[in-house]
Amino acid sequence: MDQILFALLNGTIYGLLLFMVSAGLTLIFGMMGVLNFAHASFYMLGAYFAYTLQPLTGFWLAIILAPILVMGVGILVERFILRHVHEHGHAHELLVTFGLSVVIAEMIKMVYGKFAVDYRVPAELNFAAFSLSGIDYPFYRLFMGGIAVVMFIAIYLLLTKTRVGIVVRSAIYRPQMVEALGHNVPMVFMGVFGIGAALAGLAGAVAGAFYTTNPNMALELGVMVFVVVVVGGLGSMGGAMAASLLIGITNSLAVGSDFRIADILILIGMGGWAEEIGGLLTMRMSSLAATLPFFIMLLVLVLRPSGLMGEKE
Amino acid sequence: MGFQKFARGTAAMALVMGAATAAQAEPLKIALVETLSGPQASTGLLYRDAVKYQIGKINEAGGFGGEPIELLEFDNQGGPVGAADRVRAAISEGATVILQGSSSAVAGQVTEDVRKYNLRNAGNEVIYINLGGEAMELTGSKCHYYHFRTSPNAAIRVNTLLDGMKEADVLGDNVYAMNQNYSWGVDVQDNTVAAADRLGFTVVEQTLHDVNKIQDFSPYVQRIQAADADTVITGNWSNDLLLLMKAASGAGIDARFGTAFLDQPGNIGNAGAVAEGHFLSAPFNPEVNPEETAPFMEDYKSVTGHYPSYVEPATVFGMMLLQEALKEVEPTENGLNAADLAVALENATAETPMGTISMRGADHQAILPMIVQEVSLDAQYKADDTEYGFVPIKVISAADAEQPVQDSCQMKRPG
Repeated sequence: MDQILFALLNGTIYGLLLFMVSAGLTLIFGMMGVLNFAHASFYMLGAYFAYTLQPLTGFWLAIILAPILVMGVGILVERFILRHVHEHGHAHELLVTFGLSVVIAEMIKMVYGKFAVDYRVPAELNFAAFSLSGIDYPFYRLFMGGIAVVMFIAIYLLLTKTRVGIVVRSAIYRPQMVEALGHNVPMVFMGVFGIGAALAGLAGAVAGAFYTTNPNMALELGVMVFVVVVVGGLGSMGGAMAASLLIGITNSLAVGSDFRIADILILIGMGGWAEEIGGLLTMRMSSLAATLPFFIMLLVLVLRPSGLMGEKE
Repeated sequence: MGFQKFARGTAAMALVMGAATAAQAEPLKIALVETLSGPQASTGLLYRDAVKYQIGKINEAGGFGGEPIELLEFDNQGGPVGAADRVRAAISEGATVILQGSSSAVAGQVTEDVRKYNLRNAGNEVIYINLGGEAMELTGSKCHYYHFRTSPNAAIRVNTLLDGMKEADVLGDNVYAMNQNYSWGVDVQDNTVAAADRLGFTVVEQTLHDVNKIQDFSPYVQRIQAADADTVITGNWSNDLLLLMKAASGAGIDARFGTAFLDQPGNIGNAGAVAEGHFLSAPFNPEVNPEETAPFMEDYKSVTGHYPSYVEPATVFGMMLLQEALKEVEPTENGLNAADLAVALENATAETPMGTISMRGADHQAILPMIVQEVSLDAQYKADDTEYGFVPIKVISAADAEQPVQDSCQMKRPG
């Protein structure tokens, strides 16, 4: 029982982390129709900025300042790169962001070296929140989950309950009309891009200390974030949340399970045959855990191409 | 008139130059086919530093046949496909010796390519020196006459590690085998299980997981805890090792880790106190034989800018074996004859700061001393600018570290 409880909790927290990064990606896509390949790079920048600031400002100020810096980078990228490419179409925007992700990764390697840096959870946060049947549960994990939940609520309220949110949402559907009403639509887009980048930066600043801060972190998380956004439905904030949790929890439960396809076949009397064939049939679920998200993505794309909560195209 | 004169002059020049090259032996070309760009480049670049360092030493001592050795670099971009392509390029540019180290998956591709090339080009063979692919099959079912491994293999790593930990009385009774799901990880797991009876411990559970895809190791840590393990033996490297250790420490689990690659740069810096007390078995430790090792450390630093660590010392030692073998070979008018070098390499021994290393003729596996070491505050050389480093616990001589030749190695010898 405790095992399953832990697995659920672990999965939820990991899912919330995925949400923190994918929230910005899906926000930007929903708003501007740009699939931003460099998004996970903003996550990496957040971690490295916080690592650099921590000795100067302390941990708390570092995780506040780092996202602001990343927002600055995001705004510059939108203003001076994406806006110029926009008129040439989506393919060009895609290529520009892809190139940008490579450039950012190489620059990080030049400045900080090729190996992981020692950005760690500060000692005052490094304690066990509670203990269940001999396993401590690190407080910092709950802290990361908490930040993600706060972030979700804040974005949701901002988009649905405020004037700014109304302008932003209408700018997606009828940009000309919104412009005619006197709102600065390019400015709105720039702001959205900046905020999206800042959210990824915040995730990086917080999670980089818990996991590792290395030049490959964008690559490692980037793929998973795209899976989340596709499964959740491009542009849907609620979908991103649902998909993050789904992937986090299935992943965590699968690791703990020794289930094999052969075990089902035994029930219908084909166990011996399955053992003989081996291969995929006798592979333990636990060694396939990291592959499951891609399987889920495949299922979603086949059965519901617009994603769990995506709008029908 | 002017043109004729020019043409005649050029022709004469060409003749003279042609004669000059014919009189001299071709310089020996050695190709390093490594991952020099992309996410996995960090290890590849360490191999390059170490190879460059020792080839520099060989050239200082006169090179080969009176000519400096030429080092060609090829970027395999981290995968077997890129490696296959680069090996072809290296051979067509005249390389007779191919060096490669990071990843057993890539090593498997390179060794097969070299074997097939040699089958088709008898009399014109190339040699593959495997600096770090440690999967058993490379000196087992895939072994062939022109492949030489200068690094330890999974059996040597795991058995020396377990012996050292047993002797230091930290192994415990319950051992958990946690490994990456590919040839190397499976080998580590198999060797851990095989040693259970000899050393009197129980393998409580074995887990294979995806390679470098997992961010969150806490579900795995939960399994370690549920299995009540005293020790975790793992062949994991890079992020898979770091995240596993950090997750275990975060969960308050006091299982000790026995590892093969804890000395990778950045690991100790990132893990900090979490790594303290964990074990490593590696072919080098800077505190062993200080009167010979300290000058080596300083010299290496003066050439490359950093102390040798991780794969670098073993690579330098492997290149020393090549250096000794080259001394036994006479250059022909076509440069180096690979068949002659293979004979010399089979019988090569080299004196390294860690002791004598030698090549075993039966399967072309290097026999080398291993040092079981622990992460501690008392280390003389600190890792990654932290207060931690590796303290030698037990030096296992080359003879004791040796593991039997695998039956699956059916080596076809020429003649």
